[in-house]
Amino acid sequence: MREVLELLSYPFVMRALTAGALISVCASVLGVILVLKHYALIGHGLSEIGFASLSISAALGLPVMLVSTPAIIIASFVIMFVSQKYKTSGDIAIAVASSFALALGVIAGRGANVSAYLFGSVLAVSQEDVIFAAVLSVIVLASFVVFYNRLFLITYNEDYARSLGINTLFYQFTISVLTALVVVLGMRIMGTLLISGVIILPALTAKNIASCFRSLVIVSGAVSFIAFTAGLALSFVFNLPAGAVIVMTNTAILIIVKVSVKK
Amino acid sequence: MNRLRLNNAVIKYGEIIAVNGVSLCADAGEMIFITGANGSGKSTLMKGIAGLLPLTSGTLERTQRMSYVPQIEEADRNFPARVSEIVITGTQRPGKFFYTHDDKQQAQNAMNELGIMELAGREINALSGGQMRRVFLARALCGQPELLLLDEPCAGLDADSHKILFRVLRRVLSGGCAVVMVTHDISDVDGMPEAKIITLSDGVILNA
Ligand SMILES: Nc1ncnc2c1ncn2[C@@H]1O[C@H](COP(=O)(O)OP(=O)(O)OP(=O)(O)O)[C@@H](O)[C@H]1O
Ligand SMILES: [Mg+2]
Repeated sequence: MREVLELLSYPFVMRALTAGALISVCASVLGVILVLKHYALIGHGLSEIGFASLSISAALGLPVMLVSTPAIIIASFVIMFVSQKYKTSGDIAIAVASSFALALGVIAGRGANVSAYLFGSVLAVSQEDVIFAAVLSVIVLASFVVFYNRLFLITYNEDYARSLGINTLFYQFTISVLTALVVVLGMRIMGTLLISGVIILPALTAKNIASCFRSLVIVSGAVSFIAFTAGLALSFVFNLPAGAVIVMTNTAILIIVKVSVKK
Repeated sequence: MNRLRLNNAVIKYGEIIAVNGVSLCADAGEMIFITGANGSGKSTLMKGIAGLLPLTSGTLERTQRMSYVPQIEEADRNFPARVSEIVITGTQRPGKFFYTHDDKQQAQNAMNELGIMELAGREINALSGGQMRRVFLARALCGQPELLLLDEPCAGLDADSHKILFRVLRRVLSGGCAVVMVTHDISDVDGMPEAKIITLSDGVILNA
């Protein structure tokens, strides 16, 4: 315990803790919408495509974030569009495209040092990451407060929202961009392969506890925050990669909740 | 006052022409029944009027204050929500993000009128099919529409609910709302002698 507290005096630990906690909460809150709308694959697809763009830009000596961020945002539109238009066959297309992207990323990035992105690294968190994470959190949380009723309606039934004259495309667009940004930022800490777990798992846990949309969002955010801080602490204590331990913690919470709550 | 003016509407699903040159007008307080065989294009026409399907050709003018009750609600029955939360979504409008006191009052009134007050706090996954239909009707009503589109609202309703629905229809009609309702039941039509009846066949209006 003392060691863990001592770690807090290191700036890099504080940066990882702050940025990571903020991103985890954003990811899990957006995850509620993605899970309820059966877009659970999106996080996974985005992170693998993100990894490919990271690797390729690193191999070509291009500025990594400047290239990957727009690439992931564009990918998020394409995925959202495909999964809506083609339903199940869309899911298959996303699975194929993202496996291909991951393979491509591994090959393209073999010269550059990309394994840090694959599994994440708390050492990689810069001051800018913390600022971006803070700005993103403010945007995500403010959106949920201001647009709560709208998000509720659109998540429940998009067609009905459209019949009321509401521009559902705008909200989808916003959710896509925010998810893409969460993935970009989360990839550095949690790792490309693990960020999708941080998006989906807390929402699944919350589904077992919460009975309305509002509590689902709140519980999901809280679970994610707890899993992140506990996971990060455990990763320091046992000297294990943080992203993996965080996802393990999330999975453990999900299993415990599922077994103990009969709904 | 004109609530709906549809002119020579054509709606296609790819190559299939589901609605083929339909024209339809509804004034304030007017009731129109749409009948026709399965697959004749009734639901497609309703979706076109609701703005959920684009017209391949033709024109549509209608009031923005429209409520639509689909034949089948394509939404997740396990969505975590209570009846009252679903009903009040009917008051949402573009550019308006929060529910006012009046919206809450309208939602209460609508639930009262449809006799689902005691279900208000219930989770939607714990409702029967008929109860769910009443919830969707309440949602449509609480938006205080000027045009109400109902696609086979009587399917699965018991005699009691049926009576409530027609009482509600008479009330909104006298308040100046226009109603377009798809039905297969001729006795529905008998209850509303002043209503217009339109029969669709292969996407075309048979009578005028
Ligand atoms: N999503 C779709 N894609 C392709 N064709 C469709 C689609 N929906 C309906 N159709 C076709 O369009 C035609 C009209 O269908 P529609 O649902 O409007 O009929 P309907 O009159 O409402 O029938 P019912 O009485 O069974 O509800 C049918 O031939 C149907 O097969
Ligand atoms: Mg139909």
